[in-house]
Amino acid sequence: MPERKTQPTTDQPWTKPNDGGDESGPRSPEVERPNTRDLLERMKRVDPRQARRYRQRSGE
Amino acid sequence: MDRLMGLETEYGLFIDGIDVSDLTREAREVVQSGPIGAPWDYDEESPLQDLRGFRASRLKTNPADDQVERTSRSHGPRPRTPHEEHVDRVLTNGARLYHDHGHPEYSTPECLNLRDLIAHDRAGERIVWTAAQNYRQRTGRTVTVYKNNTDYHGMSYGCHENYLMQRDLPFEHLVVGLLPFLVTRILYAGSGKVGAEGTGDRESIGYQLSQRADFFDEIASVDTLHHRPLINTRDEPHADRHRWRRLHLICGDANLSEYAAALKLGTTALVLTMLERGYGAPVELKDPIEAIRRISHDLTQCWLVELSDGRTIPAIDIQRAYLLAAEELFSGRDEETGWVLREWAAVLDDLEANPQCLGDRLDWVAKRDMLESFLEMENKDWSEDADLLRSIDLEYHNLDPERGLFWTLRQEGTSRCLTDDGAIQAAMHSPPQDTRAFLRGLCLNRFDVKSVSWGRVLVRHRRRMVELDLRQTVNGSLKSSPQMPANATLEDVIESIAEFSSRR
Repeated sequence: MPERKTQPTTDQPWTKPNDGGDESGPRSPEVERPNTRDLLERMKRVDPRQARRYRQRSGE
Repeated sequence: MDRLMGLETEYGLFIDGIDVSDLTREAREVVQSGPIGAPWDYDEESPLQDLRGFRASRLKTNPADDQVERTSRSHGPRPRTPHEEHVDRVLTNGARLYHDHGHPEYSTPECLNLRDLIAHDRAGERIVWTAAQNYRQRTGRTVTVYKNNTDYHGMSYGCHENYLMQRDLPFEHLVVGLLPFLVTRILYAGSGKVGAEGTGDRESIGYQLSQRADFFDEIASVDTLHHRPLINTRDEPHADRHRWRRLHLICGDANLSEYAAALKLGTTALVLTMLERGYGAPVELKDPIEAIRRISHDLTQCWLVELSDGRTIPAIDIQRAYLLAAEELFSGRDEETGWVLREWAAVLDDLEANPQCLGDRLDWVAKRDMLESFLEMENKDWSEDADLLRSIDLEYHNLDPERGLFWTLRQEGTSRCLTDDGAIQAAMHSPPQDTRAFLRGLCLNRFDVKSVSWGRVLVRHRRRMVELDLRQTVNGSLKSSPQMPANATLEDVIESIAEFSSRR
């Protein structure tokens, strides 16, 4: 199977980041809306009829 | 997290040239194409047994699904045994892989911490996707696997959570204490969906928080296929039933975001401990079924819910009340609990101030942002081309790393990772080292196993059958037992089980 490329996690993703700043509350990273060429190209390639054709049995 | 937990995910399949009426047969073939393992032992199953102290006469089925079953054009003999129907097996990593109602289903092994559970959930995706590729090579048919919960035509399938709980918490207290939390956690646990199903306003809802919120009709029941409950009452503890119960939650969405999955599991585990210690619900909802739909459908992002005392309050306030109690009780407990408390608070702050910034953590925000970028690029709006938008929604959940839209976000680093390739690859073959899943996996690797279930392994040994009872091996961490040698004998395993079982 093609290898899934993943971003490396930080060494300790579960530990509290030691940013040396104010510890009174967590801060959110500034995140831009995804707008990269890859993502938009993948979206443009989506078959617009796929959801209409997609039928499943009822699961649990 | 100090609680035994697991995830069961039913995957959606799309196979070129295969109609839904033949999906059951082909899903069985897909599962058959997965890794080999030991046969499942059905003796422990009792799906009709209800936690409220009675046995249901039967489980409800979905009438629309019954119609599909009647029109099935499948050739050949129908499966006669559960093994033929489910092609059920346990893998060396302690997980269970099988077929259920036209869906490959993967149950992770029991995990004691979020780090392991997230890696094993990701391992399950790869195992199912690899099975599908093996099927493609064998049959020549193109197959797509989706980790989602709806076909956009009213059929839903689940991602179930399992939490081992103390039996002495009365079930009624559990329901009352848990409902306001469960209904409002879709604020961060929802995977997002274009449109709505089964509510009469399908076209008027452009986007909603949850894949699954449209599919619940009851507060609590033993059913799972039709008239689904928020809290499932199936009583299969897979452990000493006098001491434990397994809470089987079927109301969650399947998450692609590791962060959202970990937060969902972590917060729920903490709330269960609070309830076990006597904490009660901060509020009572007027109508939990209506509330979960209303929150999910609320595009204004006010997310208001009605309480039984007549007040209307924001769902975020309910989450904050649970968080406050959790902080009082669990601050300083351990690293993962610290992560859950910290991130729970951060997410609630961001939901209140600026939900847009949660695209790196929550599926519903990431997907909505992605769709908005697309609409902007195409100079369209939400009212146009619902089929296309649903198709893009569906593609977010595609497990193919070359096509699935989520994987692009992960590769770009815009979805926060909590595990890595090494841990996922290891989890595909190795069980968690600190739960009874380790013993199960060890038995599969070293002995002649006849059959396996969560609570029992039957081993053929020196011309006799040896039953290994794992139902008592759920209390605490296996790591605190004497270390098992790499060349462990059956006698070593029996000794380890006895030692583990003797702990109270």
